[in-house]
Amino acid sequence: MKNQNDGLPGLGQLLSGSLTDASVQKATEGAPDFAILPWVNVVKIGGQSIMDRGRSAIYPLVEEIVANLGQHKMILGTGAGTRARHIYSLAIDLGLPTGVLTVLGTAVAWQNAQMLHYLLAQHGIPFIEPEGFGTLPHYLMERNAVVCQGMPPYKLWEPNPDSGRIPPQRTDTGCFLIAEVFGARKMIYVKDEDGLFTADPKKDPAAKHIPRISVQELLARDLHDLIVERAVLEFLERARNVREIQFVNGLKPGQLTAALNGEPVGTIIYRNGDAR
Amino acid sequence: MSLDRPSAQHVESTLMRESLVDKNVIARTEGEVSSILPDVNVIQIGGRSIMDRGRSALLPLLEEIVANQPKHRMIIGVGAGVRSRHIFSVGLDLGLPTGALAALSAKDAAQNAYMVSCLLARHGFVYLEAPFVVQLLPAMLAAARGAVFNGIPPYSLWEHPPKIGKLPPHGSDAGSYLVGEVYGVRSVIFLKDVDGLYSADPKTDSQAEFIPEIRAQELIDKKLLTLPIEPVVLELLTRAKLARGVRIVNGLTPGNLTRALAGEPVGTLIRQ
Repeated sequence: MKNQNDGLPGLGQLLSGSLTDASVQKATEGAPDFAILPWVNVVKIGGQSIMDRGRSAIYPLVEEIVANLGQHKMILGTGAGTRARHIYSLAIDLGLPTGVLTVLGTAVAWQNAQMLHYLLAQHGIPFIEPEGFGTLPHYLMERNAVVCQGMPPYKLWEPNPDSGRIPPQRTDTGCFLIAEVFGARKMIYVKDEDGLFTADPKKDPAAKHIPRISVQELLARDLHDLIVERAVLEFLERARNVREIQFVNGLKPGQLTAALNGEPVGTIIYRNGDAR
Repeated sequence: MSLDRPSAQHVESTLMRESLVDKNVIARTEGEVSSILPDVNVIQIGGRSIMDRGRSALLPLLEEIVANQPKHRMIIGVGAGVRSRHIFSVGLDLGLPTGALAALSAKDAAQNAYMVSCLLARHGFVYLEAPFVVQLLPAMLAAARGAVFNGIPPYSLWEHPPKIGKLPPHGSDAGSYLVGEVYGVRSVIFLKDVDGLYSADPKTDSQAEFIPEIRAQELIDKKLLTLPIEPVVLELLTRAKLARGVRIVNGLTPGNLTRALAGEPVGTLIRQ
């Protein structure tokens, strides 16, 4: 077999060396990166911030999504929200582990994705499960968008967090990883704030808006609270495809459209330099 | 409740309206976790270390598993091995991302797990894909004598970007360990082709010293260049709530698994 594959760089080392060997891992650093769906935009619709608000928040956003279908192709992922908070606190009280909380939280994101899907169904937009991602390119070419639930499909295999019991990789992370693996054009988070502030603007009126910040700088600030799951920032730091993520206010009409068009609305968190 | 309420509609709970990213909120969710399957043992059969050796390595090991069955309930995770290395090499050459490599590699471990389940079928072991592990494992263990599962976790396209390079960080060691942690099992035992952990690679360094027991954090701090298990397992161990140790034993040495199941200090114990 080895002789037939002599043309493959690094095959000898991969076949014989230990994959946990740091030098083998390092050798894969220079491998090329092919973007699978370079024209797709991943748009995450917040759970607590958008979906839990019902009609007043969701209807205008759905209209805006539909209006953009001709220009932009979108993978629409949903967050979980208040029902997840309820079942997390119940499950924690019952002594259940993080992996079980992940299974439970996934069901809530799934419900929100179903609801969003019902509202978009008349435009031919399908709902796809993680197992159905093989059909994604076809739907994106034909219908310009798909709806999926935002949680990564880790289920019981979700690792424990550093502290507490809440699954550390939730819907922000799941959507980010979709953008990273497909080499997406944009990763846009639709929430209920104008982006990132120096403090929680819901609680602190003196909080200042941050239009643009590097992920390294944001992590260095070691803030108590953030606009996005910490795992997203860690993954953005070492991503190979996604260079920046954008946060827009879904309660303000036009912000999602502006972000899709490449305008600097809300907050952009970017990765410093190009480590590769 | 108004039908056109502008603000979010909340369900009352201790986490209501809270930011789940807030460190203080997260810290409040600390507390007792109960074990779901406390009498089960997770046995992980290495891909390259055991499976790729074929009959001579695997059959005696499966006999030992069957011999231990009356005393110990076991679920068996299986690794991928050399076919994954081949597809990693082709995939890397094509420029495919880490998540795609993870999705491809999981099929190699599934093949190995399926073969193990065929060999153990007459002893009442069943093969469970990830969705069935989630839904049916306890029922299967009540009805069947044991279960075999794909060691690689179902992260697929959602695999984490690694800290270095492009190889998927969560392989079958991580997946098998995580099954042990979430179910709060009695023990997690990795069957490899080395006696355990050494201060250096014993195959290339005659000065290498054997390490019978070590804490995960201590091992991380040693920054060893090569380890008999995936480094991510050490990080997972530092955050363990239930499965607070893993034992690495040589699966090529008859009797090692039996001793490990009996709680004897064979191989290397890495603990929290």
